[in-house]
Amino acid sequence: MKMNFSVWLRLLQMFLKVNILSPSGPASVGFLYEESVGKIMTEEQFVEAVGFSNVLPGSEALKLAMFVGYAAGGFPGVLSALLGAIIPPTVLMLIVSALLQRFQQENWLMGFVAGMSPAVAALIVFVSWELFRVSARKRIDRRVLLIATLSAVAFWAEIPSPFVLLGAGIMGVLLFGRRSY
Amino acid sequence: MDILLQLFWIFLKINLLSTSGPASVGLLYDEVVGSHVTQAQFVQAVGLSSVLPGSDALQLAMYVGYAVAGIPGGMVALAGSILPPTLIILGVTVVLHRLRREAWLSNFVEGLAPAISVLMLFTAWKIFQNGDSMGWWAWAVGVVSLVAMILKAPARFVVIVAGIIGAYFFSR
Repeated sequence: MKMNFSVWLRLLQMFLKVNILSPSGPASVGFLYEESVGKIMTEEQFVEAVGFSNVLPGSEALKLAMFVGYAAGGFPGVLSALLGAIIPPTVLMLIVSALLQRFQQENWLMGFVAGMSPAVAALIVFVSWELFRVSARKRIDRRVLLIATLSAVAFWAEIPSPFVLLGAGIMGVLLFGRRSY
Repeated sequence: MDILLQLFWIFLKINLLSTSGPASVGLLYDEVVGSHVTQAQFVQAVGLSSVLPGSDALQLAMYVGYAVAGIPGGMVALAGSILPPTLIILGVTVVLHRLRREAWLSNFVEGLAPAISVLMLFTAWKIFQNGDSMGWWAWAVGVVSLVAMILKAPARFVVIVAGIIGAYFFSR
């Protein structure tokens, strides 16, 4: 592993670019692939990075950035990749939210929000469907449905969602642990 | 100070219990709407984070943190979101080969996935009702948006168009 300044600078530059040009975390994967595979890491390393960032909890864009950064430049590489991934979205959002707080009571903003609500709801349904499809494709069986049904009942009963999610995770450990099902 | 600690804890919790950026929306809704931000602010946050480039989860954290406690709030929310994945990744790179044999963590996350999908459906329904003032128009906008996204229209485009329709026809 080469420990030099130009690699870190290049990582920072690359992640700034990827995060300015891609609309969301998952969308950055394809873009990142083109930018990094063959240049600073092998295809195998990249696939491993994507695999791990799907398996571990938390924002996958960040995890992916850290894996790529580590493969290319060790721990300092992790830091530069992380900085590159964090700065563009948050600075933009900070500016926009600061502006928006001034218009909170304006009529046009209320209309804009009312119009956006059904579209945002549709967006969430869409993402939820994509998530479910991905998890069901990996294990097409009753266990996924069982967890989904039980959690639906729990949310219906207004059990606080962190507890429901924790329970679902534990069920995953118990149910998926037995490979010979 | 108290509110900052609360924010930090909320985002720490959310990032430990969600599989990916977009999946954190449902849990975030339950944790902050009503108690820290209004529903309208939350819709703005989700809409904007899908419009602006870069990670949605970080942008949601930034918006909510800023709305609750200004710039320090944004920073604290960000720190809470970044810390869990960073520590986990650093841990994994150290014990990479050990973890590959210990599948329980990946089973935990796979167990989370279906529950998160269901939670998001509940959240979508609550947010949908925020468009109530539009009557049947809300259904039209919702259905058309969903179909558009299934047909692979970019989400940022769909959300902006819906917002403009709302601003044009439904500003009181």
